[in-house]
Amino acid sequence: MGTSGDASRVSTAGAGAPPLGTARYLYAVCRGLPDDALSQVRGIDNSLVELVPYEDLVAVVSTVPMDSFGEDALRRHLEDLAWLESTVRAHDAVIQAVAVQAPTAPLRFATVCFDDDAVRARLEERYVPLTRALDRVQGCGEWSVKVLAPAPATGAAARPAGMTGAEYLRLRKEQSQRRTDADERAAATALAIHEDLATRSRASRRLPAQDPRLSGHSGTMLLNAAYLVPDDDADAFEAAISGLRSDHGDVVVDGRGPWPPYSFAMLDEQ
Amino acid sequence: MSTTRSEAAAVPAAGRRRAAEKPARDLAPIALVDLLDRLLGSGVVVAGDVVVSLAGVDLVEIRLQLVISAVRAEMARDRRGEAG
Repeated sequence: MGTSGDASRVSTAGAGAPPLGTARYLYAVCRGLPDDALSQVRGIDNSLVELVPYEDLVAVVSTVPMDSFGEDALRRHLEDLAWLESTVRAHDAVIQAVAVQAPTAPLRFATVCFDDDAVRARLEERYVPLTRALDRVQGCGEWSVKVLAPAPATGAAARPAGMTGAEYLRLRKEQSQRRTDADERAAATALAIHEDLATRSRASRRLPAQDPRLSGHSGTMLLNAAYLVPDDDADAFEAAISGLRSDHGDVVVDGRGPWPPYSFAMLDEQ
Repeated sequence: MSTTRSEAAAVPAAGRRRAAEKPARDLAPIALVDLLDRLLGSGVVVAGDVVVSLAGVDLVEIRLQLVISAVRAEMARDRRGEAG
């Protein structure tokens, strides 16, 4: 316990253990969050969102039942997409609410502690990397840029009348070669777009391509990237996306933002 | 940053910073798939992934095992801390 008692006044629960069978769910760590920042937001399962301070940081937390967030329960729940969606949405709503008010390090989904003492212990233990992460994202938003190659025309044409088998095979081979060339060009385009945007951002990360069954996209996702962009540069960054879109008509460039800095607040050890 | 007055919860940073910390515009909504990318430990690939299913279709391999292991480790640690 490094903090004096009055520092915990923001947290209604104080230092005691939460009610039996519950735990503290951590949404984010912020710096300089106003006390009234959470008046408009509810957490998972409509829970009350509270602050647990440590030095100049606060953890944004709420109480969740262990029968949802214990190890075994979580394993079952995570395979339930409806539960996952509503819980992830609630997590995001809290992050969005605090990220517009203070530098915010969003925490990974289902970061759970036993009680407020354990929350403070995490903040104390990771104070330096948390501070570094907050320094990195302060005054910045995350932008997502995806590059998609349109789906190729499908189906092999029937052999035209009068064409011999050998001619038809040669034609098919040429078509296949053209597709391969087009794929390579599109991949090079995606890389060029990423490199361009990376130079215009404070940091960038490439994420794995998304599964079309979850994202609903058609064609091939060539780039799924995140960029950390200072708010002051956001307009220029958006304009750069538009410019790249017109320069590269052969691919689809999808840019979105700003988002809370989900991809850039990770701690150094991760 | 050289903030030393950690108790100054109401005004933790100078007002000029407060303005700079505010995003220049409202945040945009995020699609579920993009949230899952980010909240489930994007980019980390470990063995033993759990597959999330919807209507019997294997949808996406996400790194849920990692989330579960992390929860297990945290709670085990907290229980030890409580006992000790």
